[in-house]
Amino acid sequence: MDTVTRRLPVGLGWTLLDIGTATVGVAERDALGTSARVVAWPPYNLARVLAIVDIELGRLDEQASRFRADSEISAVHRSARTAHILSEGLAEAIAVALTAARWTGGLVDPTVGGALSALGYDRDFAAIRQGRARPLASACIPGWESVRLDGRRLRLPAGSRLDLGATAKGLGSDRAASAAAAAMTVGGVLVSLGGDIAVAGESPSGGWPVLVTDEPEPLSPADARSRRSAPGSQRPAGQVVRLAAGALATSSITCRQWRGGGQLLHHIVDPRTGRPTEGPWRTVSVAAANCAEANAASTAAVVAGDQAPAWLAEQGLPARLVARDGTVRFVSGWPEADDGLVEAPATCRMPAGPRGRGAPR
Amino acid sequence: MDKDFDERPGWVRLPGREDPPYPRGTASARAGGVRRVRRASNWTAAALIAGVAAATGYFAHHPPPVTPATSAVTTVPGGTAAGPHKPSLNVPVATSSGSGVTVSTGPHGVKTYTYRGDN
Repeated sequence: MDTVTRRLPVGLGWTLLDIGTATVGVAERDALGTSARVVAWPPYNLARVLAIVDIELGRLDEQASRFRADSEISAVHRSARTAHILSEGLAEAIAVALTAARWTGGLVDPTVGGALSALGYDRDFAAIRQGRARPLASACIPGWESVRLDGRRLRLPAGSRLDLGATAKGLGSDRAASAAAAAMTVGGVLVSLGGDIAVAGESPSGGWPVLVTDEPEPLSPADARSRRSAPGSQRPAGQVVRLAAGALATSSITCRQWRGGGQLLHHIVDPRTGRPTEGPWRTVSVAAANCAEANAASTAAVVAGDQAPAWLAEQGLPARLVARDGTVRFVSGWPEADDGLVEAPATCRMPAGPRGRGAPR
Repeated sequence: MDKDFDERPGWVRLPGREDPPYPRGTASARAGGVRRVRRASNWTAAALIAGVAAATGYFAHHPPPVTPATSAVTTVPGGTAAGPHKPSLNVPVATSSGSGVTVSTGPHGVKTYTYRGDN
């Protein structure tokens, strides 16, 4: 069990965790509506790393959280104007979201913000779970191609609401990990935002061990052990993989579920329909050169449905796809054995150019 | 760089170059200026020598951490050339979970599942 050893004097409520080894420092706190976990070696780097991660997460929250009334993106949404001058940070976050949309042929689309709100996902998720079910509304999705971003100048169709959920947490992990590693003279760091993981610097021997799982509900340890199973079995409790470089992200429909209009809804919206996606995959994990790309690819794969494995293979992105019936499929060299090394591509697959390629329509 | 040079054979004043705005001093005044410069240079040199000596002494007792080696020649398996050894981890340090479940493995292999409701 994680043992709270002491609270660090830096940052916003980091809690030190004891994972049974003193060779790394581990800390966790709530952030961006989820949990942030930071692991650093040598452990004496941890305090400095946490201070840097605090700064990066704080910036991202102030820039891109649509659940904060005082965030920059909320101010954009409230404004009656359609043209805006953004901070560099928000401009980058939107640029990454638009690039991901182009790359995936629109399967992830930042203009689904209005549709998510109409489905009831208009608050921090903890508040939704505690609130009453509401009737569904409908909202049109203007489409990512209607958004114009030129440097820091944004032009947004009137009434549009952006949701950067498919890339923002990954971008936050990337920013935090790279900034932390730049401040270290030796060692490495892992940053996880709600399971979207980026590593930087030197990895531990054999890579960072990461548990990939899609447990829909908390389980008892005994139950977890009994459900732990070999790849390809019907009820995968999870798989430990090792990540030496790059990033790993998981998207799933098994949680962030709520009831609305008498239906069970989840947060991955198909931009083609404006409704929660109904594809065959309940969870997809992807390794990529950076976490924003891994995040976008995993979400796009859930939306892409049957086309997802072929698209991921074409992109050369190692992936683990869990079907609704629990069957597991491995793509592009994702290790089938427990404790295997996930070799994330060294270069980005998400093109920076004007046109994407091979989108899994 | 003033009148002295103009008076030497073979030296030609550059076109457009004006006389210095300050009044010309005597030879003794120039000599005094040179002495001041030399004194200042001596103090600067002394300060530099003292600084280098102090830094050398400090780093002799506090060696700076070595930047991770990037060359295969200098990489030590399992560790950096002169830094701490790479840890070898046998428990997951993080969880990638679409369900937002954080799974933590403790010192005795006990797993704790924490619902965070994200992703």
